[in-house]
Amino acid sequence: MAAQEEKRKLTAEAFGKFLRWLSENDELAVREYQRIRAKLIRFFIHKGCIDADDLFDKTVDIVVGKIELCAEYPNPLAYCYGVARNVWHEDARERKSVTLDVDVPSPEHPDPKVHELELQCVERCLDQLSPGDRDIVSRYHGEQGRDKIERRKLLADVVGGMNALRIKMCRIRKELRICVVECTKRLLN
Amino acid sequence: MNRNLPDRSLIREYLLGRLDTKEEEVELQLSQDIVFNDEVAEMVESIEEEIIEDFLDGTLDSADKDAVDRYFLRPPERREKLRFARLLRQHFEERHDFVERRFDAVLPPGVHVMPATLEIRSAVPWWSHFRTYGQLAVLILLSVGGLIYISSIRKYQARLEDQLAREQQHSASLVQEAKLVPSSMVPLTLVSDRSRGGGQIPEIEIKPITQRIIVEIALQSHSTGPFDIHLETTGEKGPTWSAHLLPLISSSGDARLMFDLPVQDLASNVYSFVVLSPLPGAGRPKHYDFRVRLAK
Repeated sequence: MAAQEEKRKLTAEAFGKFLRWLSENDELAVREYQRIRAKLIRFFIHKGCIDADDLFDKTVDIVVGKIELCAEYPNPLAYCYGVARNVWHEDARERKSVTLDVDVPSPEHPDPKVHELELQCVERCLDQLSPGDRDIVSRYHGEQGRDKIERRKLLADVVGGMNALRIKMCRIRKELRICVVECTKRLLN
Repeated sequence: MNRNLPDRSLIREYLLGRLDTKEEEVELQLSQDIVFNDEVAEMVESIEEEIIEDFLDGTLDSADKDAVDRYFLRPPERREKLRFARLLRQHFEERHDFVERRFDAVLPPGVHVMPATLEIRSAVPWWSHFRTYGQLAVLILLSVGGLIYISSIRKYQARLEDQLAREQQHSASLVQEAKLVPSSMVPLTLVSDRSRGGGQIPEIEIKPITQRIIVEIALQSHSTGPFDIHLETTGEKGPTWSAHLLPLISSSGDARLMFDLPVQDLASNVYSFVVLSPLPGAGRPKHYDFRVRLAK
């Protein structure tokens, strides 16, 4: 069984120091922090890491410890990315010695009531999409089997090719996912 | 613009964790591209979703499936993405099934004409109530007669009671079945445009529970599209809704447009879908009229 490490939390002091390093301007510093955070969290997810947030906090901790040395570093993202790679290597080494049982994702939310709310929210969020986007997502998911392949080819011709369609669908799904999560939270409260 | 974008299959290998140990230089370069190039990052996200789609379709080979189970689905964020993709599929499958059930129930094969309004309640045959009442009447008559011929009637009565019970059970199951059909959607099929019309225009009733209209327009042309569609009504200056759609083409070459329309901005009025092909030589736009009646 894996040893459960207590989840790290970035201290307020370290966070403040890190923000100051990013910019003297509060607004710019927060914006840059969010940009770096989003990119490095994606990096850890791409690397199959289980707790990307924790690894990001670890990365910032290390960077804060070295801020004196890298005060003049012109590209904070590049510096943080370099540290993040080391954090990932270390995590990968630790992971090798631990066997983890990956849960097969359940098709439905364990609570049927929440699942029902989620389906209602999908309906609502689809309504909030622009007519064009709603049409694309409906057609993309609208057919089965061979029809599905043909339909997607035709759809791809309209939006500018298969890769453009995939990227378009990715953006629409992202928008829908965020909307459904927020809508479900609202309905549960 | 996208000259330097990496190969999609390489990104797929990267996302399945196959470059981490074997091709470290390629992995290093790709990781950097993803972090510093937003266009590559977006492409990677779309391939991530493609892997999820393939996983759900069951089209991954065993090696890829194993990599997905052991590596790709380790982060909870990806498992959540997978769950959402399933949720979205479930939504569209239910809607697809609903449309199929409604159209299969009403239209004989090959016939494209459909009444303007389809009541959900119509799933229960209207005559089933008369049949039930008829059985009841017979039962009452026989009960009265039974006062005189009790001994000979008893068996007959028992049989009728059994028949009635089965009939009621059947009616109840039909009512139950009707309740299961989501009533938030109303189908509307339009086959004649204004130039061919002359008869009564189709009418649909929007109930308070109704959220969307599933529209099917049978096109006279066999064009593969695309088509611009606008919803217009009297008194409005511009279109109240518009879309750019491709038609569905049947194996016999018939073309039809299928889409859904939210009902929230509709009022009791006559509306018209204006269908126009932007292709050169496609001719004048066609108007498909229908009437909306808001139920109280």
